[in-house]
Amino acid sequence: MTSTHHMLRTAPKGALSEALLALDDLKRSAQRVGLAWSRAWHDVVARYRGSILGPFWITLSMGVMVLGIGLLYAQLFRLPVGEYMPFVALGIVLWGLISTTMTESCDTYVQAAGMLRQTALPLFIFTLRTIFRNLINLAHHAVIIVAVVAIYGYWKVMDLPVALLGLALVVANIGWMGLVVSIAAARFRDVPQIVGSFMQFAVFMTPVFWKPDAIPERHAILILNPFYYLLQAVRAPLLGETTVNGTYLFLVIMALVGWTGALALFSITRRRIVHYL
Amino acid sequence: MVAISVQELTLRFPVYGVDAKSLKKHVARVTVGGRLGMHAHATHVTALSNINLELNAGDRLGLIGHNGSGKTTLLRALSGAYEPNEGRVEVFGRIASLLDLNLGIDPTATGLDNIYLRGRVAGLSAREIDGRIDEISEFSGLGPFLAMPLKTYSAGMQARLAFAVATSVEADVVLMDEWIAVGDEEFQTTAHARLDDLIARAGILVLASHNLELIRGYCNKVMRLTGGVASEVTDIRRLDDLLAA
Repeated sequence: MTSTHHMLRTAPKGALSEALLALDDLKRSAQRVGLAWSRAWHDVVARYRGSILGPFWITLSMGVMVLGIGLLYAQLFRLPVGEYMPFVALGIVLWGLISTTMTESCDTYVQAAGMLRQTALPLFIFTLRTIFRNLINLAHHAVIIVAVVAIYGYWKVMDLPVALLGLALVVANIGWMGLVVSIAAARFRDVPQIVGSFMQFAVFMTPVFWKPDAIPERHAILILNPFYYLLQAVRAPLLGETTVNGTYLFLVIMALVGWTGALALFSITRRRIVHYL
Repeated sequence: MVAISVQELTLRFPVYGVDAKSLKKHVARVTVGGRLGMHAHATHVTALSNINLELNAGDRLGLIGHNGSGKTTLLRALSGAYEPNEGRVEVFGRIASLLDLNLGIDPTATGLDNIYLRGRVAGLSAREIDGRIDEISEFSGLGPFLAMPLKTYSAGMQARLAFAVATSVEADVVLMDEWIAVGDEEFQTTAHARLDDLIARAGILVLASHNLELIRGYCNKVMRLTGGVASEVTDIRRLDDLLAA
């Protein structure tokens, strides 16, 4: 059910008009951003209904993990806890945002099948819903960030504006990645497993738990790893460190190239997504 | 202005078999070089072919036809969910598609939450729903149960709530897949009146049904679908001729 006042649906008229229709989907989604937000908010509320801590359950379990890994790995790596704990805390929280957005994007369209099959709702609304839901969760996990920054005195050296800019670039990038994953997962049912294993592999290949200075500078595992830049863009300024030269430029270019590719895929598959489900 | 204009509408569905849904099989096909499965490609089903339809304010169209003849597909195309492979679909006016009452409903949320969830999908703002909430909850007759999760409701209670929300919108074009009959006898009477009212206010009704009496009662025009091919739009008084044809 929807209240469109004028609706026109035509047969495909070439690649350019399909691309414009894809952009129009984005525009209409932006107009109904309230629906995406209310759905995202409901998802969070619904998931934790009946529990006292609500979404803070995940925050709590994440906090316990940070504490455990922070204390143990500081010993293993022979690093001062005051240096390693904030590092790993930020790593785990940010990785959680990236990784959960990717795995949950697999359900973006599958979950919305009922709505997509009988309304003129634009598709991108549901991608926004997944992103918003993860940002709401991040806002809860921010408690962990605030705690380590306060306890270990990093508020004296941190550069909050740059960290927020970094976060904006992270969101811009996980946005297009999420769109690609959601379309692929609607089309191929083995994509969720592939994404799951890939993210698990990536967490070990990316300096989430280990510090990048433990391996030679400009090692391929760092400079060729997009997740490294995503993490560093937010973590480094919060720890008062400088990022590798060109991190932000890299993220801007990745967002532009990524969105171009993702929108190309979206304009090719847009008409068929509802039939994939 | 309220109007529906469908010109030369053709809809083809890709139907993806089990193998076609596997990315691994797609990749294997490329690397091995040969086709592993016989059904690796999607089959296409032509669900609607060359449909033409012009409806204006006051038109009540009944869609008849066997199972799989394309009635629901046509309704979905009119709702804007399915995009044409050929031709065009144009609708002027606010559309209410009452194809599935469970649209946008979450069984774990309370009745009240579900009114908001469903209302938002229908395009109402939170404030607009605030304004209608009393009317909706009163009509549903669920009273204190609205504070309970929907999953604790009986099927009839769930249907009452869904019906109350779905019909609380202002619409110019009402799309319905079979007449909605919910609840006990008493509720059915009020539900019937409410639906009548919604349709009376709407400019156009498109109703797909197997119940010819219903079609006779509500529609002034009728169209028969056979394997995705449509008959002429016929006056309801000539329904028997259409059936005989």
